Amino acid sequence: MRRSLVLISIGLLGFIGYWSLGLELGQILPRGQGFQIARDFLSAAFTPALDYEAEFVPAGSPSFLWVIGNGFQRTVIFAGAALSLALILGLPLAVLASGLVPTSIRIPTRLFIAGMRSVHELLWAVVFLAAFGLNSAGAIIAIAIPYAGTLAKVFSEMLDEAPQRSYQALIGAGASRSQAFFGALLPTAGPDMAAYAFYRFECALRSSAVLGFFGYPTLGYYLRQSFENLHYREVWTCLYAILFAVLILETWSGKLRRRLVA
Amino acid sequence: MIALLLLGLYSWFSGQIQVAELFTIRRASNLKRFLTQDAMPKPLRNLAEGESGFAALMQWSSDLWNDFGLLALTTTFWISILAMVLAGAYAMLTSPLGARTLMHEDPFVGAQRGLPWRIASASVRGMAIFLRAIPEYIWAFLLISMLGPSAWPAVLALAIHNAGIMSRLGADTIENLPPQSLRALRLLGGTRSQVVIGGVFSMVLPRFLLFFFYRFETCVREATILGMLGVFSLGYWVDDSRSRGRYDEMLYLIALGALLVLLADLVSWFARSLVRDAGTSTNTKFKDPAESSRGD
Repeated sequence: MRRSLVLISIGLLGFIGYWSLGLELGQILPRGQGFQIARDFLSAAFTPALDYEAEFVPAGSPSFLWVIGNGFQRTVIFAGAALSLALILGLPLAVLASGLVPTSIRIPTRLFIAGMRSVHELLWAVVFLAAFGLNSAGAIIAIAIPYAGTLAKVFSEMLDEAPQRSYQALIGAGASRSQAFFGALLPTAGPDMAAYAFYRFECALRSSAVLGFFGYPTLGYYLRQSFENLHYREVWTCLYAILFAVLILETWSGKLRRRLVA
Repeated sequence: MIALLLLGLYSWFSGQIQVAELFTIRRASNLKRFLTQDAMPKPLRNLAEGESGFAALMQWSSDLWNDFGLLALTTTFWISILAMVLAGAYAMLTSPLGARTLMHEDPFVGAQRGLPWRIASASVRGMAIFLRAIPEYIWAFLLISMLGPSAWPAVLALAIHNAGIMSRLGADTIENLPPQSLRALRLLGGTRSQVVIGGVFSMVLPRFLLFFFYRFETCVREATILGMLGVFSLGYWVDDSRSRGRYDEMLYLIALGALLVLLADLVSWFARSLVRDAGTSTNTKFKDPAESSRGD
């Protein structure tokens, strides 16, 4: 009964949203010029470009696939750097936000973490662009701040949810708290944390691809350029590149999870 | 895991990341100008000695709030609500079709799974991966030129990405259900749809609602930025003040957005604890089938 009430009120909220945004159902289907774009774009889906679509390509420019490959590599590099920085910042914060420390430390840390997370990485990127100008390290930091916050939040929950018995046993046997933490609690919660870190890497890939829209040389940069030049087959090449990266990570982390958690 | 660590190390030494360049004099002067002038709220910039700018600051922020602050927050909020409702509806319809335990000649009873059933569940799951793999921002970018200016591109972009995530999570949850009672329903003569509606649906709903609220949190966060592409959400006004060089207004709006996200976190936390309390009789210990529900 209570659940159907929740479902109904969620549906109602949706209607209120629809109404207060001034939406019309008719606008959901592309019309006129938009329809043309949608048709051309979708019909390009099965023939992603392997070479430039432009009629005229300046002599000496590198091949299209090489450019996209480079963009792909930079997308991975940006994501890898951002996630490793986020892990370095997030792990200590996770301990300070968990039940292992007294409340007087835990509460301020949690507030701090919430602050890091509450601003989206693209907004951090916009702030850093305004503060520093275009610099790739700025982009890395922009991704790393909210990611460190999310990692810290989820890791601290995992530390709290992990079975405490072995940790308590080591403490009872005379181990110091840090010995018990590294010897018992971290190995217990470790597999879950590793699996989550993998999932965050997938998210970081998406974020770093999107940063290309702001002028950083990742996949989003080429995607935007191609779309604005109406080269839809090139756009699909970029989309498939992102999909490919996510698929690889999905299978990889699936294997890892089965080995670690199961 | 080690491969991931190596990748992290390689990234820093690949030469693509300009760490040293961040500390040059030009960057430092950029930063100084930004902090002392651009980012300083306008009424505080040219204060005389001893003059208090507090009243002027309050006036400034209430003007911004009335001009576009409130509007930016409410549109962002409603965009994410509507997007989540659409995503949830898609997931409710497709999760049973993606669950390998249900997509079966004889669910919960037979042992073999025929090829047509395999293809059906694999294509539903494949669709979910495709919807999820493309970031919301890119969906919105593609949709804007097709749908023209309204809130739909933002709503649909968020709905598409989250539909992929929720559909997969729902299917995983159904697969992880304890099969005993469902098998009993089948053996008593229940048809496939009777088992789904009468058994699976009520068993999955609490967890499904948990995912819903987890994703709602991140949906609000994502909704703030989609406006930067030109549809109306907080990001639109952020980008507008950025292009006018009014960085003080930009930071004000970003702070407002952060407050909205924190508020959504709180609402989601409250709703989740309600759902948990209501659902504890059937689910003693909640365990995510996948991590993707938590965090961004």
